Amino acid sequence: MRDIGNFYVAMTRHPPRHHWVVRVTHWVNAVAIVLMVGSGFRIFNAYPAFARRGETFCCWPWEGQGIPAWLTFGGWLAGARNWHFAMMWVLLLNGCVYLAFVYLHGEWRDLVPRRGDARDAWEMIRFYTFRRADHPRQGKHNALQKLTYFLLPLIALTLILSGLSIWKPVQLAPLTALFGGYVWARYWHFMTTLLLVALSASHVFMVFAVDPYSLRSMTTGGYNEDLSPESRNARPFTNILPRRRPAP
Amino acid sequence: MNPGHPDSSVALGRRMFLGVGAAVAAELLLGACDSKGPKSAERFLRYMERKNEGVERALFRHTAMDAGSPGHRLTGSALPSYFISEKVPVWNESARGVWRLEVAGMVARPLLLTLPELARIPHITDRVNHYCVEGWTAIEAWTGCRLRDIARIAGVSPEARFVDFQSFDSGYHESWDIESALHPQTVIAYGLDGRWLGAAHGAPARLYSPVKLGYKNVKYLTRIVFLPAANGGYWSDRGYEWYAGV
Repeated sequence: MRDIGNFYVAMTRHPPRHHWVVRVTHWVNAVAIVLMVGSGFRIFNAYPAFARRGETFCCWPWEGQGIPAWLTFGGWLAGARNWHFAMMWVLLLNGCVYLAFVYLHGEWRDLVPRRGDARDAWEMIRFYTFRRADHPRQGKHNALQKLTYFLLPLIALTLILSGLSIWKPVQLAPLTALFGGYVWARYWHFMTTLLLVALSASHVFMVFAVDPYSLRSMTTGGYNEDLSPESRNARPFTNILPRRRPAP
Repeated sequence: MNPGHPDSSVALGRRMFLGVGAAVAAELLLGACDSKGPKSAERFLRYMERKNEGVERALFRHTAMDAGSPGHRLTGSALPSYFISEKVPVWNESARGVWRLEVAGMVARPLLLTLPELARIPHITDRVNHYCVEGWTAIEAWTGCRLRDIARIAGVSPEARFVDFQSFDSGYHESWDIESALHPQTVIAYGLDGRWLGAAHGAPARLYSPVKLGYKNVKYLTRIVFLPAANGGYWSDRGYEWYAGV
């Protein structure tokens, strides 16, 4: 009885795994990205191709093929545009708050790549593909997570700059030229979105398949190290439940 | 969980709350698919459009010029043609008399220009991009006189802040901020790719400028009215962004 009480205290008194600023910006981000991607897809569907009129485009095999309507948001072109141009500020402001916090509060130390991260990432891949038995040692995040979380601000920057390029190709012509002109800026905006969607989908998949306990740490902040993927030796859909601790 | 712990019911309540919260959030996301979003967001979207107009106006420069990408052919006949009327609007001279472009509103000398009179005003030919709201672009060479020259001839009052462009295409019109209207690449075009403008693209004369999206560039022009306040527009009144700067 006393043990369980201590365990409970340990769980609740432990400092939260994620600071409340990180938790709030994470969920604002989730909603804003869903709305931005959905409305972006609806805008894309108004002309689901990249070629200038009367020309062909080299590098997209599905010219003319729209995104399924259930993946879109905004209802019609003007609605989607209004949402897109409104939510972009929410996303930008939210991203700035997050980056400023991570920088000032020191959390960036858990996220910047370090020497050895590439090898650690390879070890994680070996572990996930059953070519390695035990989970590699890790800090707060594994090397694959670190790489992804570090990549996201760079993806965001690419999206912002390519987005500005297709919003203002005349007033910000030099920026648009940097992406190779309007047609290519639109292409890179779309391709970077697909990369973001792929990373976000893998992120959500890994949360449910490997570390569902992180849902708690990203809402209330509570976390128990005994339940970490490393402690559980967790691969997708294996060792979801905590390991039995050997008797003392 | 320890059922005897005094906090257990609270903890359970919180878990229930989070579970229900997640279910509601998932439901909202699913419900959002292919939707216009909640009605109550309309005010937020209008507010953001006004704020964006401020940003767009701040970015706007008369020195920022567009140039159709070099090394690409003119789009020519591949340029889509849009109009509101059921059939291509054609000025019926026998019923309506000779076509004239009226310049009115806050001007010292209201004008009524026939096409030959319009063509006598110094003109430019500009090879520029066409930016459609749908996302496609085209390259065309437009021939016409700058609106800033017409404004000078008509003697526009310095108090005029907006310009309404009206057409004979079933009441189609769009109003502009005067800064964009007086941009050096904003022309009253009567020539396209070296030929007289055809009926499909707004003959006898139309507004063309790369600094606004296609739907702001009114075809089949009849009147240009200088105004102290904005006057909406065909697509702007239907939910599309009013400023629509490029």
